[in-house]
Amino acid sequence: MKRRQAIGVLGGVASAPVLMPFDELKRMVAWRERVRASAAPPGASEATIAQAASLLTPPRARAMEALAEVIVPATDTPGASEAGVTEFVAALVDGWLDNDDRDRFLAGLDTVDPECRERFGSPFAECIPGDQAAFVRGLDEELTRLREDPAADESQHFFHDIKRFALTAYFTSEAGLAALGYRTTFRTFEGCAPLTPAEAGR
Amino acid sequence: MTIPRRDLFHIRPRRQEFDAIVVGSGMSGGWAAKELTELGANVLVLEAGPMIVPERDYAEHLPTYEMPYRGWNDRKAVAAEQPVQGECYACDEVGRRFFVNDIENPYTTDPDKPFLWIRGRQVGGRSIMWARQCYRLSDLDFEANAREGYGVDWPIRYADLAPWYDHVEAFVGISGRAEGLARVPDGVFLPPMQMSCVEEHVAGAIASSYGGERVMTIGRTAVLTRDHRGRRACHYCGPCHRGCRTRSYFSSLNATLPAAETTGRLTLRPNSVVAEVIWDARAGRATGVRVIDAESHDELEFHARTVFLGASALESARILLNSKSADFPDGLANSSGVLGRYLMDHTMGVGARATFPGWEDRTTRGRRPNGIYIPRFRNVTEPSPDFLRGYGYQGSAVRTGWGRGISMPGFGADFKSDLLRPGPWSFGISGFGECLPREENHVALDPDQVDAWGIPTLRISCAWSDNERLMMRDAAEQAAEMLEAGGGRDITIDTEMTPPGLTIHEMGTARMGRDPATSVLNAHNQAWDVPNLFVVDGAAMTSSACQNPSLTYMAFAARASHYAVWAARRGEI
Repeated sequence: MKRRQAIGVLGGVASAPVLMPFDELKRMVAWRERVRASAAPPGASEATIAQAASLLTPPRARAMEALAEVIVPATDTPGASEAGVTEFVAALVDGWLDNDDRDRFLAGLDTVDPECRERFGSPFAECIPGDQAAFVRGLDEELTRLREDPAADESQHFFHDIKRFALTAYFTSEAGLAALGYRTTFRTFEGCAPLTPAEAGR
Repeated sequence: MTIPRRDLFHIRPRRQEFDAIVVGSGMSGGWAAKELTELGANVLVLEAGPMIVPERDYAEHLPTYEMPYRGWNDRKAVAAEQPVQGECYACDEVGRRFFVNDIENPYTTDPDKPFLWIRGRQVGGRSIMWARQCYRLSDLDFEANAREGYGVDWPIRYADLAPWYDHVEAFVGISGRAEGLARVPDGVFLPPMQMSCVEEHVAGAIASSYGGERVMTIGRTAVLTRDHRGRRACHYCGPCHRGCRTRSYFSSLNATLPAAETTGRLTLRPNSVVAEVIWDARAGRATGVRVIDAESHDELEFHARTVFLGASALESARILLNSKSADFPDGLANSSGVLGRYLMDHTMGVGARATFPGWEDRTTRGRRPNGIYIPRFRNVTEPSPDFLRGYGYQGSAVRTGWGRGISMPGFGADFKSDLLRPGPWSFGISGFGECLPREENHVALDPDQVDAWGIPTLRISCAWSDNERLMMRDAAEQAAEMLEAGGGRDITIDTEMTPPGLTIHEMGTARMGRDPATSVLNAHNQAWDVPNLFVVDGAAMTSSACQNPSLTYMAFAARASHYAVWAARRGEI
């Protein structure tokens, strides 16, 4: 696993409210470095954001939604699908990812259905749950191997994107925040409060 | 209690002459406006940016699912419009409206010396997005230059400033805990916020491991822990930098400007970019300022008996450098030649993080807008062999959230249910170190570039020295050692210092001193060369100490305002 040094965020995290897990913030900073390095001259890039049809085409959206639902399934609370994962991923693909990263992600996503047809006879979204789980397990294990290899960078694997997009879409959605028991305001701050039954998983 | 609706300031027709013009409506300008108007002066506050109306412009409770990028920011817009500002954590998907457009506000640096100049141009300035930590300086700081022969001696000591710290703290509302430490003197505190379980535990371990030499206390922060002067107690929603409709944290927009407005003697003019201070050679005084209207680009002049600059350390220096005349060819009030020099910031980015097993049935409740503080312990009683001065740590220990799932194996129902529960406790601390005043760290006007309003921009030349690097090497080691003493596991160390500027504590470009030949300002923030000109922001700092500086700027701004009114009454200015 390659990790860039965090620049600029430690102080902010330390003195600012904790809005986001630290690792996620570090990653965002690393991405921002990359986008700055690859950005067109200032002022040039706004017009390049196409308002045309999404690059997350219906077949891609179906695969993405089904993959996300396997990662974060509906249980006693809704899953990634109901949380609007495709809307978020379309926004990222069309207006957020750098072209290189977008193309790498889409190329990876485009391998999913052909591979599933070959192995299971159907595109991913139409595979039976057992086959879907086997397929996702394979990708997740590949990611774990890359993470444990000091010479590799797991963030370059498309499943790393699938996973972080799915998790973020779910946990920042109205349904996800409700499942987390997220509250906006508090009467006071408690530094050492007992867990609620939901937090304790009871 | 009702929330005062003082968000709309009455903008009166232009007067011909004011008692005072205050340039800048942020932390320092807000205090000058409040004190001067309360003492009877008619004051014009000029702000380069637009008006901010809290009920319209603050968005601290906007849920993530209503953000197009779910809090991941509009990164292409940031890359195109705010490539510098985007380096600041607070320039996020919601908060980035409070940061300048880097294309309209360019500056240059030496190629090998990056400097990140983080700016906010709006009514309230950067007091809207500041991190709110408040620590007094002490004589350990005010005597440091004289003791070590580094830089020039401060013209004041702690006893001169202490009553003004009392004065501003009583109004600001600062929560914190008295510790009786001479090096970070106690102040006028509201009740402290709680530490988390792990912070309490590590604080105890540090107290017993270091024999009282090192202390961990709860951060001293300008956030209300109970209702205070018409402002509501904090409701712990978290993202203060996006604003606060209950005015629970201190900003000029939330507190000092409304106080000035109630006197009936405040005129606030947003969208007023000050290009220079007007010097009257015959009278030997400043007579006002020349302004470019930010929207119409019209050139305007405003006149006053006294001019206060509180535009930020670099903007105030830029205005003075741009105020050239036959008497002051190198910038107004610059007979010493030190204007723009001795630029400082605090070091940042270096520290350590650890996981703390245990306390699995406990968590924090509420998003505390504050962390812990470990005051400076180096060069306090015994000299450090490696470096001068010292550093303090800030940090916090909370349970990790769902984001840990991104780098964890797993998927499916059990994975989801695991991520819905709080993760392990994680404690990170980060060192903020003093920067020595060095002549070569400086700003000058760029001969080749102007901003969107035709005003010459700054060329900034600033780099850390070996003293800061050696200090931060120690800060990384000691951070890891203290977390280990507290029982931390899986300790990781961050050793890379962020570039100067990003700490947003830039200061020192019009320093105070005892000698007009080596300083710009005297002990009252008054320009040696121009008796009716005061600089009341971070530019005035003679050394940087390692404490977060805003509280000190506020105390200086209040003190200088009282001095100016007193001097005007005696006919001295």
